[in-house]
Amino acid sequence: MTEPRHSLLDLDRVIHEPARLLLVALLSSVDSADFLFLLKESGLTKGNLSVHLTRLEEAGYLSVEKSFRGKIPHTEYKLTPKGSSALDRYRKSLGPILNPKKGRK
Amino acid sequence: MDIDAAVKRGRGYLFVDGFAEMAAGVVFALLGGVLLLGGLMPAEPLLSRILATGTGVLIVKAAGFVAAALAIWWFKDRFTYPRTGYVRQKRISVSQLFVLARNAFLVLALPLLVLGAAMAFVPAMRGALFSIPIWAPALLGGVWGIPCYWLGEWTGLRRFRLFGIGILFAGVAVGAVQLLVGVPNALASGFPAQALSRTLVAMGSLTVLCGAAFALSGLVTFLHYRRENPMPSGRES
Repeated sequence: MTEPRHSLLDLDRVIHEPARLLLVALLSSVDSADFLFLLKESGLTKGNLSVHLTRLEEAGYLSVEKSFRGKIPHTEYKLTPKGSSALDRYRKSLGPILNPKKGRK
Repeated sequence: MDIDAAVKRGRGYLFVDGFAEMAAGVVFALLGGVLLLGGLMPAEPLLSRILATGTGVLIVKAAGFVAAALAIWWFKDRFTYPRTGYVRQKRISVSQLFVLARNAFLVLALPLLVLGAAMAFVPAMRGALFSIPIWAPALLGGVWGIPCYWLGEWTGLRRFRLFGIGILFAGVAVGAVQLLVGVPNALASGFPAQALSRTLVAMGSLTVLCGAAFALSGLVTFLHYRRENPMPSGRES
């Protein structure tokens, strides 16, 4: 019982939050994406999305690039190598928790 | 949405609006048209006919790829990105390109080279050449159908899985029709020209069919996307 409990407590809490996990998963398969794409795909409100993106950026999991497309401000988000490996670690650490027998093999 | 579904959503975003399918459909239809023309050209001289068809195919592939890429970029920039956002897809690195080229060579070119060599040097294998109108479309169906199915798996888009299966079966069906027509007579003096004509017509028909299916699917996807994603106020399409 100790091992799974220990694994649960070791989960990356930045990624463990469902909205942030979704954002990181969405960004993991693309080079970069803008705010509108993440807004549409996540279904979060603008304020909520902004808060989660800032949290991920603070953790070093995202890099942000601001530019203009014509006269319209454009913000692109990119998963950093740290964010990418954090997602990999998270996925691997879930295995033994959800299926302890398989994890011990 | 689970993690894998979210990952696949990002990968499949290129196909969300149907533009890529419509462009692929047009290129396939043009390619099929060139093959059909090659099949219906006067039989002799054989070499000039092979060269003309090969050149046509190369031009359509190269120009079609560039034109399709530009058209997709232009339409997405004005239609898709203002509606559902901008996504930059991952670039393929040189090492990944090398692995892709090596695998394509091992899976596609190597068996064909071995078959070609066997036909050239083993008299018993030459019989396989006579049945080329039968197996070439089936092979082409596999060459396109399997990557299409894999694309469906990779992006989580069911329609590509269905396309993959459909193209594979269409290739086999075109080959079966050729089988029903009969294998070109090996003893007939016009064998190479006759076999070539039937092969080109079979492959051209399959390619046009695939192009039409892609274009239609792209159009349906586009109409659905436009209905589901109206232009935000203050932006013009």
